[in-house]
Amino acid sequence: MTLALFLQQFLNGLSIGSVYAIFALGYTLVYSILGIINLAHGAVFTLGAYFTYALMGGTFGFNGLLANATLPIKLPFAIALILGSSLAGLVGVAMERIAFQPLRRKGSDPLLTVVSSLGVAVVIVNLIQYLVGAESYTFPADAYGSLPASINFGSAESPIPIRSVQIVIFAVSVVIVAILTYFINSTKYGKAMQAIAEDATTASLLGINTDGFIVLTFFISSFLAGLAGTLVASSVSIAGPYFGIAFGLRGLAVIVLGGLGSIPGAVLGGLVIGLVEAFVPGEYSGYKDAVAFAILFVMLLVRPQGLLGRRFIQKV
Amino acid sequence: MKKTGALTTTFLATFTMLLTACGGGNSGTNVGNTSSTQTANNTGSTTNSSGAIPIGIAFAQTSNVALLGQEQVAGARIAEKYFNDKGGINGTPIKLVFQDTSGDEAGAINAFQTLINKDKVVGIVGPTLSQQAFSADPVAERAKVPVLAASNTANKIPEIGDYVARVSAPVSVVAPNSIKAALKQNPNIKKVAVFFAQNDAFSKSETEIFQKTVKDQGLELVTVQKFQTSDTDFQSQATNAINLKPDLVIISGLAADGGNLVRQLRELGYKGLIVGGNGMNTSNIFPVCKALCDGVLIAQAYSPEHPGEINSTFRKAYTEQFKKEPPQFSAQAFAAVQVYVEALQAVDKKSKVAKLPLPQLRDELNKQILTGKYNTPLGEIAFTPVGEVVQKDFYVAQIKMDKDGSQGKFAFLK
Repeated sequence: MTLALFLQQFLNGLSIGSVYAIFALGYTLVYSILGIINLAHGAVFTLGAYFTYALMGGTFGFNGLLANATLPIKLPFAIALILGSSLAGLVGVAMERIAFQPLRRKGSDPLLTVVSSLGVAVVIVNLIQYLVGAESYTFPADAYGSLPASINFGSAESPIPIRSVQIVIFAVSVVIVAILTYFINSTKYGKAMQAIAEDATTASLLGINTDGFIVLTFFISSFLAGLAGTLVASSVSIAGPYFGIAFGLRGLAVIVLGGLGSIPGAVLGGLVIGLVEAFVPGEYSGYKDAVAFAILFVMLLVRPQGLLGRRFIQKV
Repeated sequence: MKKTGALTTTFLATFTMLLTACGGGNSGTNVGNTSSTQTANNTGSTTNSSGAIPIGIAFAQTSNVALLGQEQVAGARIAEKYFNDKGGINGTPIKLVFQDTSGDEAGAINAFQTLINKDKVVGIVGPTLSQQAFSADPVAERAKVPVLAASNTANKIPEIGDYVARVSAPVSVVAPNSIKAALKQNPNIKKVAVFFAQNDAFSKSETEIFQKTVKDQGLELVTVQKFQTSDTDFQSQATNAINLKPDLVIISGLAADGGNLVRQLRELGYKGLIVGGNGMNTSNIFPVCKALCDGVLIAQAYSPEHPGEINSTFRKAYTEQFKKEPPQFSAQAFAAVQVYVEALQAVDKKSKVAKLPLPQLRDELNKQILTGKYNTPLGEIAFTPVGEVVQKDFYVAQIKMDKDGSQGKFAFLK
């Protein structure tokens, strides 16, 4: 492998890894608060991309109930991205109210909540297909303004072109991670969320509105999923209703690799998986998931708490 | 410990989710042993409870292949209405029975078994992918049920069995035309990069034809890059190829992956001609690569501009309903239903199909399909004794996109 190719794949890995990171942060937040993994996270990832596409004035194809439908507005990408991700966040809130809260109130086993989230995922994916068909969609060419399609980081003789969208994705992801880290560690709300994650009952006795913070957590988590979905779709395309399933799997690998419930761990795990995948030769692209899960498997054997997770100590 | 338990079950549940989501909405649940059920199906009446003659349609209505399958469903539905309006089978209507094959082999087998054993169809149109056909067609072959492929263009499809035929011209006949068209546009082409989806039987078959044509034309094959139909990120493969400075890129894949590959090649600076394979022969590629689709050459087995009354009727019905020109996959699905209708009409003239026992009708129908000539939207077609289509007219189209990439069309080259 030449140095140019190495650098190119390294930057590609950073870009996709940063998206994995913000996607996995959503998983991690819900896990921290409720101790469950929300399997509908990948479906919400897909929804976010569709919402942004629709808000940008995108027209849906001819196969679904919304054939040829277009919203009477055409928002710029940045605004549509925020609104689309917010709508995904609201879907997360609705999901929590419908599929999670009733089970929690009854004190059901977390397994039932996981199965419930699985049901939500299947419903969302099928609903998307019913409404807008299975076609792929791409954001408008001017989504990122007049940014050139690629930037050359090499010389004329030895070019290292990187697609501009990759750089933008990386930059946006870094900003989002920074904001979220600040929110969790330095604000009153973030600290309240940490308190609930530590011990929900005690936090409630201390006057923290745990129910409200659970809703907030689902909003942020689904917002991040929607944001990640849109960013990935802006790099490739919305590859149909099943778009987020592979991401859902990789997100699991990321959070376990990084350390369950650890925000820095999700970021590190995302970057590691992204970089490893980038260096999987193209002809073995079908084995990227296998590589990700092989790393995960080894990690579980060597360091079960993940790269940055805390070792669980059971007091007897 | 609840966290460990939740984690363990999460992984199990994830696999369930994948199976559920990827399995699609196949309404058939017949997954039993085929050989035991097939003997049981060979009885019963030819027409269904509504008095219509059931023809099975097994296309991918879910999964990433649904892009193609839904186009086929559109073509089949237009055919059903058209031929029933014209009186069906000498007065008896046809009834298309749809089963979703999803995008994999298991989905296709399930759909075929349901159509054969539960829906008691006289024959089947489908499945969408050649990859699926190699698994599902033998099920129909063992049950002695005719299968007419509408979009299986890989080599050796008709050879699967006596009851298997196709209206979709084989890739070996169609594919070379687009390379010749590329050389006509740029006689200076010397170096060629080939990409193909290694998890798709058709793409593997098509790339062999493309690679042979490249060598036959005296061109240098500088690289062969592989990918998966489920891939969206092709930067590694695109970079590898671009570094070798090819003058022509040839892609065998489906609309979503092929479109994304075209987009990423262009964004990374590739400026030469691109030839797409049959899987990219759909307007569904336009929303994927948008303005960057412009200029892609694709060989076709159908042109909306084909002269002939039935194509005009089909084209009119399609454009009225979908506000765009009919794609090849829709035209081929229409043609497949038409072959069934006309073959059934011919059988009916000899002995009433409604009175024939189902096994006998399926057998007679299969023989009739192979002996007839059909004037379809694809032009006049017939079959070899093996079931291979004999078709006269082929085309090469070049994608022309509007500047903003919102609209596009296949412009047929003279």
